[in-house]
Amino acid sequence: MPSRRRTLLKVIILGDSGVGKTSLMNQYVNKKFSNQYKATIGADFLTKEVQFEDRLFTLQIWDTAGQERFQSLGVAFYRGADCCVLVYDVNVMKSFDNLNNWREEFLIQASPSDPENFPFVVIGNKIDVDGGSSRVVSEKKARAWCASKGNIPYFETSAKEGINVEEAFQLIAKNALKSGEEEEMYLPDTIDVANGSQQRSTGCEC
Amino acid sequence: MGSDSESPTSSDDSTSQNPNPNPHPNSTSIDQSLDAIEDQLTSIALAQPNDLASDDPASSSEEEEVFKDAPNGSVLEEENQKERNEGEIVEEEVGVVAAEEEVREEGRLGWRRVNSEVEVDRLSSPSSSGYAGERGSSGGASTASGIEEIGEDRGFDGNGRGEFFDGASDSQAPPWVPGKRHVDEDDASVSWRKRKKHFFILSHSGKPIYSRYGDEHKLAGFSATLQAIISFVENGGDRVKLVRAGKHQVVFLVKGPIYLVCISCTEEPYESLRGQLELIYGQMILILTKSVNRCFEKNPKFDMTPLLGGTDVVFSSLVHSFSWNPATFLHAYTCLPLAYATRQAAGAILHDVADSGVLFAILMCKHKVVSLVGAQKASLHPDDMLLLSNFVTSSESFRTSESFSPICLPRYNPMAFLYAYVHYLDVDTYLMLLTTSSDAFYHLKDCRIRIEMVLLKSNVLSEVQRSMLDGGMRVEDLPVDPSPRSEFSSPHLGQSRIATDSPDRFREAFAGIGGPAGLWHFIYRSIFLDQYVSSEFASPINSSQQQKRLYRAYQKLYASMHDKVIGPHKTQFRRDENYVLLCWVTPDFELYAAFDPLADKALAISTCNRVCQWVKDVENEIFLLGASPFSW
Repeated sequence: MPSRRRTLLKVIILGDSGVGKTSLMNQYVNKKFSNQYKATIGADFLTKEVQFEDRLFTLQIWDTAGQERFQSLGVAFYRGADCCVLVYDVNVMKSFDNLNNWREEFLIQASPSDPENFPFVVIGNKIDVDGGSSRVVSEKKARAWCASKGNIPYFETSAKEGINVEEAFQLIAKNALKSGEEEEMYLPDTIDVANGSQQRSTGCEC
Repeated sequence: MGSDSESPTSSDDSTSQNPNPNPHPNSTSIDQSLDAIEDQLTSIALAQPNDLASDDPASSSEEEEVFKDAPNGSVLEEENQKERNEGEIVEEEVGVVAAEEEVREEGRLGWRRVNSEVEVDRLSSPSSSGYAGERGSSGGASTASGIEEIGEDRGFDGNGRGEFFDGASDSQAPPWVPGKRHVDEDDASVSWRKRKKHFFILSHSGKPIYSRYGDEHKLAGFSATLQAIISFVENGGDRVKLVRAGKHQVVFLVKGPIYLVCISCTEEPYESLRGQLELIYGQMILILTKSVNRCFEKNPKFDMTPLLGGTDVVFSSLVHSFSWNPATFLHAYTCLPLAYATRQAAGAILHDVADSGVLFAILMCKHKVVSLVGAQKASLHPDDMLLLSNFVTSSESFRTSESFSPICLPRYNPMAFLYAYVHYLDVDTYLMLLTTSSDAFYHLKDCRIRIEMVLLKSNVLSEVQRSMLDGGMRVEDLPVDPSPRSEFSSPHLGQSRIATDSPDRFREAFAGIGGPAGLWHFIYRSIFLDQYVSSEFASPINSSQQQKRLYRAYQKLYASMHDKVIGPHKTQFRRDENYVLLCWVTPDFELYAAFDPLADKALAISTCNRVCQWVKDVENEIFLLGASPFSW
């Protein structure tokens, strides 16, 4: 039974509009890239099965809209996330500055049990643009921010060229998996007819 | 609801206003109330033979089609429209939600599919969810066209298992069947999209827990969509109950952190589908108790699928029972017909053990109760019995050895476990002893040995087997003159005429097709006893497809009779091209009867009286009497 047990990981992708969240996801899941920009409306969902250390698990990727008008998606969207991916465009300073807001917003909405250690991954995307000459956010700066937020793993990617995308998601999966490990104990009660109260018994399910 | 304002639908409205002063079947007759409205009914029947007060807002012509279409599962004339609807379930439902919630105005949330994204690249990777597949959203639908709708029961891929499952069994209680079907499908599969009835369980974070068809993990994207819809509406302080999208109904049920969704084009009433979701939730509680909620409180990303490991068969068997077991909508249980003394003997020994710390002792044969006894003040809800017997009979492991398993009775106490000792005494007959003590196994084993000995000695088990072979009430056995009393208590000319000269005439006319006056089938539900009795299926209701269709018709009747807005009603007479359906509800009982569509109304009514009398005459054998602690 345990060998067949599969894990489902909910991964949320956040970041300003146009930084390439959907493209990253498409490159990762479908190995496709389109130059045409089309805004995500609300959210989009993709799944990908991944093998990791002999375990099969499914990534349920929640690709959200970056526009501000969609930012109040609310608790519902963030609830129960196993990993959060923060994406910015290395060519747009504002998108990097906003990472902090995205992170805060996520922690408020999702209110994970251990916010300090919640697995984030930061991705600086579009490193291919103009051969890197239009870049405004240095890797050093990005890494410094990541370090200041509890050593968030950092990747620089190009969704267009497929650079580092696989690697980034591998780590996303790995970290999500790690955070899912400490599972909640399921301890059902047994009816105590005599006292009219319930006794907690040891969980003995499955 | 919607249709009650239309004039032709007033048939049972008017009936309901006819008070039935005397509800007892012995002393009164259905004629009194029905005769009074007879003329009215006739004119209605002529004008709109298929119409009927119904809670269904569908128009009367659609009502007709319910019955026309349901058996085949494929309606060719509406093919195109259906294709379109099917291919776009998600799109449409989102559209409806969006419209209701004024999503776009608020500008808070929408879905990609709401927007017509024509430029999307039509890639559809097998590993991605249907959401990805739907990048060619309208394209996805068009590939579907030309493929006939897949019946609920028929495997699209030619996989015979599908047919076996819901389909071709003739017995009333089909044998245990394999659980999950069509695991290879996901929401990008055309076949998956064409299934007539989907059930989903998911968590409030959008993680899939159960899907009737297809692999849960592959459906993770679809599951997320459902969660997004529910949560979005909830964020607005509202609650989504039902979305109609063409022929499809999407029914939502939120139970704390557990979301249940049914997507169906079976045209069953909303109340029925919702009731089915309630039962599925109850089944989950039976396996895990409601304490799973605590896990979600502490950890929203809690994945409960491992806790439900290996229970696919339990759920698929329950879903299957929605189409053959009337207990699923009547909220009553049924007994195996037995001589009164035999059932008494079984009850006596069960009573003995109940005094020794057993909370409930239940002896059942398939889905029918032989006898049951509860400790003082303990009452067992019929739904709990249904879920418990489904749990036991669907799990192969209970058959092969004596078992001791934690179970929860959701209506008794949803928060905590009981322990069930389960042992099969023969191939169909099993004993369940429920206790609160987790170390009572050996005690219950001793109890079982004692019970088994007594049952063998008093021939109860052989009687049970004989009853299984003999079957239950048969419409063709309906007594012409059920009891001497009926002669005195039926002063109506109509009835005495039937009782004397018409039976022969009808026996000729309907030879081999059901009972007198074209009676095909009936279900009688006793309100006090929480029990029902259903006649055996006979020609022409032979195939399980026909049986399912009849149950769905009953179900619809049940829902309309108990409608909260325009009901409850007392009588209903309904004629369409498939049946004459007659329903009679009193404070004591409910009778559902199906007749030949050409059956004479007066005869049908008087036949119902005879059925009630017959049931009354044999109640000692078909019901478990004196089990007062079990009424809830």
